[in-house]
Amino acid sequence: MPAFAPAAPAHERELVAHLARFSGALRRAGAPVGLRDEIDGAAALRLIDIGDPEEVRLALRSALKIPRRWWRAYDRLFDERWRRATLPRPARDRTARRTPRRWRGDENSEAPLARIRRQLGERAGGGATEAPDRDGDRPGYSPRALLRRKTFDECTPDDLREMERLLARLALRIATRRSRRLAPSARGPVVDIRRSFRRSLAHGGELVDLARRARAVELPSLVVLCDTSGSMDACSRFLLAFVLALRRVTRRTEIFAFNTSLTRLTPWLGAGDVVRTLERLARNVADWSGGTRIGPCLLAFADHHLRRTVRADTTVLILSDGLDRGDTESLETALAAIRRRARRVIWLNPLMGDPRYRPEAKGMRAALPHVDRLVPAHNLAALEALLPMLGP
Amino acid sequence: MRPEIRALREAMRRADYIAEPSIVTAVHLARSMEKPLLVEGDAGVGKTEIAKVMAILMKTELIRLQCYEGLDANTALYEWNYQKQLLRLRMGSDGPEADGPATAGGDPGGGPDDRAHQLEDLIFGRRYLLERPLLRAITRDEPPVLLIDEIDRADEGFEAFLLEVLSDFQVTIPELGTIRATHRPLVVLTSNRTREIGDALRRRCLYLYIEHPAFAKEVEIVRAKVPGVSEALAAQITHVVQGLRARRLMKPPGVAETLDWARALVTLHQDHLDAEIVAETLGCLVKDRHDIGLLPAEEIETLLAGARAG
Repeated sequence: MPAFAPAAPAHERELVAHLARFSGALRRAGAPVGLRDEIDGAAALRLIDIGDPEEVRLALRSALKIPRRWWRAYDRLFDERWRRATLPRPARDRTARRTPRRWRGDENSEAPLARIRRQLGERAGGGATEAPDRDGDRPGYSPRALLRRKTFDECTPDDLREMERLLARLALRIATRRSRRLAPSARGPVVDIRRSFRRSLAHGGELVDLARRARAVELPSLVVLCDTSGSMDACSRFLLAFVLALRRVTRRTEIFAFNTSLTRLTPWLGAGDVVRTLERLARNVADWSGGTRIGPCLLAFADHHLRRTVRADTTVLILSDGLDRGDTESLETALAAIRRRARRVIWLNPLMGDPRYRPEAKGMRAALPHVDRLVPAHNLAALEALLPMLGP
Repeated sequence: MRPEIRALREAMRRADYIAEPSIVTAVHLARSMEKPLLVEGDAGVGKTEIAKVMAILMKTELIRLQCYEGLDANTALYEWNYQKQLLRLRMGSDGPEADGPATAGGDPGGGPDDRAHQLEDLIFGRRYLLERPLLRAITRDEPPVLLIDEIDRADEGFEAFLLEVLSDFQVTIPELGTIRATHRPLVVLTSNRTREIGDALRRRCLYLYIEHPAFAKEVEIVRAKVPGVSEALAAQITHVVQGLRARRLMKPPGVAETLDWARALVTLHQDHLDAEIVAETLGCLVKDRHDIGLLPAEEIETLLAGARAG
């Protein structure tokens, strides 16, 4: 079966340009659509009846690999930008090759090019129809309205670097779970026949020494839910720096910030040093140092991210002081759901550094039955004590 | 609708697979573009079934690779047949000239190094290679359907390993060189989304997310798959199942559960639903203690009342 139609007549070029604009709109809405996906999309359009909008919708959704959670945005954009735009059609009758001019005349009174331009709201001026969007291939996560911006000027870079160095050494301790996967090792319990056999050839087929395999060390995976409200301000930077240092010894770390709403921070955790990452985070979280609604935020996490990010080997860390005047019912529901799925739920509370502290805030009391450990997190020593709990 | 897509839909229907348009379109594209199809969705919505039906329609072999934690290249791709190799090596050390083709007419006095090389070439040949599912899928003369089931259960490292196979349909064996597919198989990957599939793999596939079928579709599926079920009973069954899905259960029942339940009811010669029989057979549908706790007798009554009304 031929994968691609050989020639690309004029209407097809136009179709591709339109697809590029549609993909650009998807990217701006936040859906992860890359250049490669567009190429697949263009190939898919040649294989279906583009006069049937429903078929186009389904085909593009599959070829552009739109994840389930973007379907609503996709459908909306599709209706706006594709379904209502009158698209060039290939001549139905393949034997009679009609020129673009011809079908422009007989089916629509308005030229399709002009029509598309009008539908797109004259977004990009004259030459826009030929040039695809310049969004390129970068992921287009768009942060919500940034209510307040704040930098971490109080935390000196020297402090953070010192801590990073210490933590890098300490953190190695947590990686101790053995995976089911076997990896070559000098003195493992399982004989690696393939490598032994390979070696034996050097001795003319005599098995002199056996190569061995052992269960590989598995790095733990972490999900961190960090409270960035005003009451946590003094410690959230410190705790985030701690989590960023841990990132190096974990297989996978997902970080979410919550205050009045939940924000997934993982996309901003690029390479680079801790200080710069923290600045980037502060810029991108809405309402940093604002109020808190722990319950609804954790419920949002449980509903939208739990299945994807938390597995049986995942430890969930919640960094919060539990000072929340909201309802405790949603907090309990959310924590129960998280705990059912995760290996362990650990609540880090910076207030516990004070020996007189009792977990009596309404939110904290409600949370206690649903967490495995409640531990202090006010200085580096407290975090050091935490490390063994993150392992197996 | 494109004629090929319509034809595919009809063929799938004849094979008792009642497919939503999104499924038919995605399968058509995967086949024409020769790209793997990544299928996600809740348990029991018929992900695996797609591969089985396509194997039947294309009258070809279904090669299945079930993923699990710890799955490695030896189990998925190829393994050397060590017993045979060792045996050959023993024979070889007694008299390699006896049947070594390279030495048959040549100079028997070749150095010991030469002989070792010849031996090595011989025992690392295709004859001593055990083909595992992935290699088997690309070396068949007839392109098969390759089902890589529950890819989310495999380690993330395995995903990276799949990339070479799935993007170029070729496999590199250090001792042998690169083996290319003569025909590309139709590849179906399924995932229950217990973890996110890596972007690199996702980009190489076409994507299909299957949702629970709509009411009319599910009734149709029950009637097609369970012989002896009346239209009224099929509708009642579907109504109850869809009612259960609307509740916040830990494990909502999939189509597979609907079919199990329908078969159970037919076996018990039921032609309608009542509270008693639902309570007795609830185990076919709800398979979690916590969920069963959420469904006391009065909840079941409510569901049934809705089913009778609808």
